[in-house]
Amino acid sequence: MFDAEFTKHRRDFAVRFSLRLGAAQSVGLFGASGAGKSTVLACIAGVEQPDDGHIDLGNLRLFPPSLPLHQRRVGYLTQEPSLFPHLSVRENVTFGVPKHEMPDPECVSWIATLRERLKLAPLWDASAAHISGGQARRVALARMLARKPPLVLLDEPFAGLDRQLVRELIDDLIFWSRTVGFSMIAVDHQSEVLMRLCPESAIVLERGQVVQHGTWSDLRRAPATPLLRSLLAPV
Amino acid sequence: MIARIGAAVFALVLLYPLSALFAHIGAWQWDAAVRGPALLSVRVSLVLTTAAMLIVVAIGTPMAAYIAQCKAMERLLWQAAMLIPILVPPLALGILFTLAFGPYGSVGRLLNRWGVAMTNSASAFVATQVYVGMGYFVLGAVAALDAVPPMLQKQAALLGLTPIKVFFRVTLPLARLGLAVALSIAWVRAVGEFGAVVVTAYYPSGMPVQLWVDLQSFGLPAVMPLLVIFLAVALPLPWLAHVLAQRRSYV
Repeated sequence: MFDAEFTKHRRDFAVRFSLRLGAAQSVGLFGASGAGKSTVLACIAGVEQPDDGHIDLGNLRLFPPSLPLHQRRVGYLTQEPSLFPHLSVRENVTFGVPKHEMPDPECVSWIATLRERLKLAPLWDASAAHISGGQARRVALARMLARKPPLVLLDEPFAGLDRQLVRELIDDLIFWSRTVGFSMIAVDHQSEVLMRLCPESAIVLERGQVVQHGTWSDLRRAPATPLLRSLLAPV
Repeated sequence: MIARIGAAVFALVLLYPLSALFAHIGAWQWDAAVRGPALLSVRVSLVLTTAAMLIVVAIGTPMAAYIAQCKAMERLLWQAAMLIPILVPPLALGILFTLAFGPYGSVGRLLNRWGVAMTNSASAFVATQVYVGMGYFVLGAVAALDAVPPMLQKQAALLGLTPIKVFFRVTLPLARLGLAVALSIAWVRAVGEFGAVVVTAYYPSGMPVQLWVDLQSFGLPAVMPLLVIFLAVALPLPWLAHVLAQRRSYV
């Protein structure tokens, strides 16, 4: 169970966020650019510090005090894949898997599944510095999932990828979320992507405030603000 | 085209002093009187400068890692402190070093009591070189560590690596070329140091001091063989490290 309620003061406004999320559940953070969506994810991941409140992941208190990043058990996929350029694709994917777990048949099978489903086999031994942007996103996704974190944070993970690949990645993520049991909090400025990835519920942020929290059909039927109505309107 | 010619002329003028290696000064002197002390000075310089560089890396790398993660004001403070041994004129540094660590200073007296002589000894030579090279290495290492994207380090930590493992598996490999350049600058500065070392450690004589002694005692023909060795020791590795670092930036 993920349970958070915190405030983060930014230069322009304060981001106030609260959420309870069960295992294998997902929620999409939706809103205009600069609404504070990425700040929310950064605070949960621990790369930014909230000013007050609390963040709990199961029995693990992430904040306060701020738990060191290596103890948080949170997967964080940002817009930039941030691969380790001095390592191969294989080394990137297995980077966070402890050495003593590597020979474990379950671990071997999981890594093989990721390699297969994310189409990484042809680039498995290539240098991470010499693969395309789309390939790098897939590697980053595999690297994050290899450790099976109980909570996965996705910050516009599909920006710039072709639609077919995005559909496949979303289907894989939903399948793995249910089978592995990780929860997902995803940010995207495209409502279609979020609706597919997190069909259960959405949180709408405007200038750091949660203006609506509900199902996607609630949002469509009765958008809380004119801005949300325009964001949800077909292009 | 004119700019390129201008650049070529500039580079030639800059490199011109090296052509003096072929100057007509008569036969080079390499008899026993010159050869023995010269070879000893090569050994002194190589062994003791290597020891000094090991100390510089062992102490300077954690210091640089600490400075690299400091906030602006604290970082400025540490960097200002690192600059002082770089900016103090070498001769002045040698005199200050002798006064502080020699028999006149309380630390020097304490060290002497423990059997560590800090004037005209191998330990004085190494310590002076550490002082001379440390600032260059630390400041260069901070720049190298700064160039590693912080998000990579954060991602590595989020993947479960402790800070020390992040340093060895991500930061260090990505900063290694910059660290090599920093070390090469410290090496060149230390192995070529004359002003400070001539005060603190006239004995055992390293190459710069021996070159000075030979110049005074025998003249230019006796200096040339050791000069060639000196350049061969000081130049190629740092030059290669710099060229590789530049190449990596542009290809």
